[in-house]
Amino acid sequence: MITRHSSSVQERPKLWFEAVIILGLGALVLGGAQVASEWRQPLRQTVDIDLSVWALPKYALFSLARGWIAYFFSLLFTLLVASWAFYDERARRYVLPALDVLQSIPVLGFLPALVLALVALFPHSNAGLELACVLSIFTGQVWNMAFSYYDSLRGVPPDYRMLGRLYGFNWWHRFWKIELPFGAQGLLYNSMVSMAGGWFFLSITEAFKLGDQDFRVPGIGSYMSVATDRGDVHAQFLGVIAMGVVILTVDRLVWWPLVVWSRKFKLDDFGSGVTEQSGLQRWLARSRATQAAVQFFGRMFDRLVPPPKPPVLNTGTAAVSAPTAPNRLRQVIYRLFVVVLVAGLAWGAVRLVMLLIVVKPGDWGEILYCTALSFLRVLAAVGLGTLWTVPVGIWIGLNPRLSSRLQPFIQFVASFPAPMIYPWILTLVLLVGGSLQWGAVPLIMMGTQWYILFNVAASAAAIPNDMVSCSDILRLAGWTRWRKFLLPAVFPGLVTGWITAAGGAWNATIVSEYVQVGGKLYAATGLGALISRASNDGSFPKLAAAVLVMAVVVVGINRLLWRRLQTVANDRCRFLA
Amino acid sequence: MPDAPHPTLIELRGVSHEYAAGGQDKDLILSDINLAVAENDVVVLLGPSGCGKSTLVRIMAGLITPTKGEVLYRGTPLHGVSPGVAMVFQNFALFPWLCVRDNVLLPVGSLPPAEQQARLEKVLATVGLDAFENAYPRELSGGMKQRVGIARALIAEPEVLCMDEPFSALDVLTAETLRNEIGRLLASPEHPLRTMVMVTHNIVEAVFFATRIVVLAAQPGRIDVVVPVALPYPRDPDSPECRAIVEKLHAILTRTNLPDTAVDAAKVVTSKVGDAGRRIAPVSLPYVTPGEVLGLLSLLDDSDCDIFLLAERLGKEFGAVVNVVKAAELLGFVDTPGQEVHLTALGREVVGGSTDSQKRVVRGQLLKLKLFELVLRLIKVQENQILPDEELLRELQAALPHQKPRPLFRTVLGWGRYAELISHDQRRHVVRLYEHRVPGRARHAPVNLPPAAPPTEGS
Repeated sequence: MITRHSSSVQERPKLWFEAVIILGLGALVLGGAQVASEWRQPLRQTVDIDLSVWALPKYALFSLARGWIAYFFSLLFTLLVASWAFYDERARRYVLPALDVLQSIPVLGFLPALVLALVALFPHSNAGLELACVLSIFTGQVWNMAFSYYDSLRGVPPDYRMLGRLYGFNWWHRFWKIELPFGAQGLLYNSMVSMAGGWFFLSITEAFKLGDQDFRVPGIGSYMSVATDRGDVHAQFLGVIAMGVVILTVDRLVWWPLVVWSRKFKLDDFGSGVTEQSGLQRWLARSRATQAAVQFFGRMFDRLVPPPKPPVLNTGTAAVSAPTAPNRLRQVIYRLFVVVLVAGLAWGAVRLVMLLIVVKPGDWGEILYCTALSFLRVLAAVGLGTLWTVPVGIWIGLNPRLSSRLQPFIQFVASFPAPMIYPWILTLVLLVGGSLQWGAVPLIMMGTQWYILFNVAASAAAIPNDMVSCSDILRLAGWTRWRKFLLPAVFPGLVTGWITAAGGAWNATIVSEYVQVGGKLYAATGLGALISRASNDGSFPKLAAAVLVMAVVVVGINRLLWRRLQTVANDRCRFLA
Repeated sequence: MPDAPHPTLIELRGVSHEYAAGGQDKDLILSDINLAVAENDVVVLLGPSGCGKSTLVRIMAGLITPTKGEVLYRGTPLHGVSPGVAMVFQNFALFPWLCVRDNVLLPVGSLPPAEQQARLEKVLATVGLDAFENAYPRELSGGMKQRVGIARALIAEPEVLCMDEPFSALDVLTAETLRNEIGRLLASPEHPLRTMVMVTHNIVEAVFFATRIVVLAAQPGRIDVVVPVALPYPRDPDSPECRAIVEKLHAILTRTNLPDTAVDAAKVVTSKVGDAGRRIAPVSLPYVTPGEVLGLLSLLDDSDCDIFLLAERLGKEFGAVVNVVKAAELLGFVDTPGQEVHLTALGREVVGGSTDSQKRVVRGQLLKLKLFELVLRLIKVQENQILPDEELLRELQAALPHQKPRPLFRTVLGWGRYAELISHDQRRHVVRLYEHRVPGRARHAPVNLPPAAPPTEGS
């Protein structure tokens, strides 16, 4: 029985696998060099897009690099701002609402200002345009990550904080040993959602018009937008496949290993000697190349920051008893930072008001009318999405085997940037005789209904087994079963899904109400189309007004409706521990 | 007691049940159960954890369809949930979004409102919940919650009331109160409910309620003995009659759970691993940690003890204590004549020893087990002597097909690490021999502080 298995070569991966890893690391470096050289090129506002297959890998690399650089900024911003909001009580009162408002501003609200400012800053190099593109992807990624990390900071049990103080942890150790482990799972889940959110507007962020200026950087998004403009279905198809490959690769090589890794931070789940793992991941962990790399970085970090000095080990008593003097320099820097921030905000507010006073009353009327129409579309999209996702989500959630089988598929569909296939769907809508006025609704749904599905399925999966047995033995059936059992049970998930979906739907109106197919423009009457058109025409006052209205509407609905529903759901519909 | 023969309500004929335990392997939960519940029967299913008693009661209620065998309700084969059965759950299973009133009324929604109201008032009075009609479950204490669960079961006026460890989630005093109240229901002639199926691991509780006690044995779950209890209600657990039955059950449970022989098969008789040695399948180690066994030994230090007394003193389920005792016996630290548990000379040495000498003794004893011999040999035949987790899991499953591989794996790791026989690399998912000084390229730092007992996570 033992000799039979003694050929267990999977103990360590074979040499070719080590070679693959080393090649992969090499490719990473080369790709970085490629991207860097692209950034240092002299400024070309409109790059020519090559629609051949062979150009696609390069474009995919560029888009991927932008996504990851943006993600790096997002992560940095998240860690800094969430910690700031957590540790500074006074700042918290302003930072959190500010994040809430920023979250509701669509990417086109940031893009024009970013592009104009950064291109002016780097007049002779591509870096400005590239940076503008990266930062607009960043605005699609960062906010939910920040909220998630702030929540997990609040969720750190006080015992662990005290432990950190007893052992003399400085902020660095506190971050690595306490805060990050507690935040890892939430941060990771939100990172995946964020990455998808960043891709969503890729075809806008990589290719857009501002008045008479046309900006375009090389990438899958611009490839798609050129292919759509020219009506080249073959190229569109290739673009969609390339995007799919990018998403799958990132999912398998980055997210999935990280998800498995983060499971070790689950506090309640201790002693489970064996965790689920993909074969690839196990190989990665056992490969000598990865181990060498991990050890190298580990040692570098250790050298960067000395280990903590527990107070117990301090030989002198003076250090222990001396009251810590407030750090003067730090206070000055902080005040300076606040002053600069407030001044910047004030300047921005003045500019905004100056833009807004130019807007004519008639334009305000148009904006409000468009808002009402878009509101109906958002409502319809969320409503229709709810109708099918709730039963399907419950069905999936209550069947563990089914959900593990469907999970990768749904995740893929959800993270695929829907606007890339909008032209196809619109063609379909036009074929059956619809117009974009109605056709925008399915387009909006494409991008947002998944959030409802995910959250409902998660809620349904969390229903205790005994509750299902109990509802069976009570013979709850038909409508009673839905009303008394299933719907209340998934209600917390449903509300969370609604909040995300509705917020996303408002932003999605920008691409859904204004679609270009084969050089022809289709526009519906709505706030999203208005924003797109204002941006295209370069009429900034109108753009500012419309974006402002959208932010106010989203935040208002959040405060007046969703928050209250969420409180009700959490108070009433959580299962008892 | 039964004067005329009562009609049979639930009947199980040759029922077996298995769960798919990942992949193609099946886990046999219940094997060939034949059992009939007649009117006015109070059947209590008693047995250690893992004997499938909860599954059995769910099969009787029609919540689970067994993979083999027949379930009859009043003589007709059962498809789906039993028509006349209500159920009380260990963790109450109340709907948090419904108030007490709506929770209790759930099963009678189809009756006319006046009838609903009448039944509601009656049943709430029965369980003492009159004043709580409008409360929500989260406002109630555990005992009150279970009263709601019982009221919800009673309001449908079921023919059979199934209860799955109804008092296990409650504190001792509350459980006692509720137990007495159910006892009073059974004793009062005007209450219609006479037929019950109850799952418990508490022997006294079984004697308190049952007309028949069905003792189950584990792995796979099967009926061991049926003990009839012909005492009138209400019963006094301290009465000599009750005590006699409790004693009898003690003897039965000891016989089924702590057989005096069979243990020797676990030991490797000869040191050379010949064909003779290989034929004997290794005996599994119960899923307990070294810390639990050492705790048991130090508890036994001052006095030899009856195993049931031990369970009572520890406030632990009988089955759990049996597992610890079995592990200690397997390692030669205790001896179990009948229900008694005695320390052996070796056990005494362990109790008196230092941490290091304790480990040394445990190491020596583990090395005598066929199970560990297998594990160590598996590691040694690997090139580099590094054994991947998945390989070890597969081998454990092949050697001990009736054990759950993952808990067994954890147990082996826990003991092996404690005894400094093997070490486990959580990141690379491999097992290797424990070495104080690691030669050459394997860059895993030798641990100065040997890992404490169980594989708990320290980040």
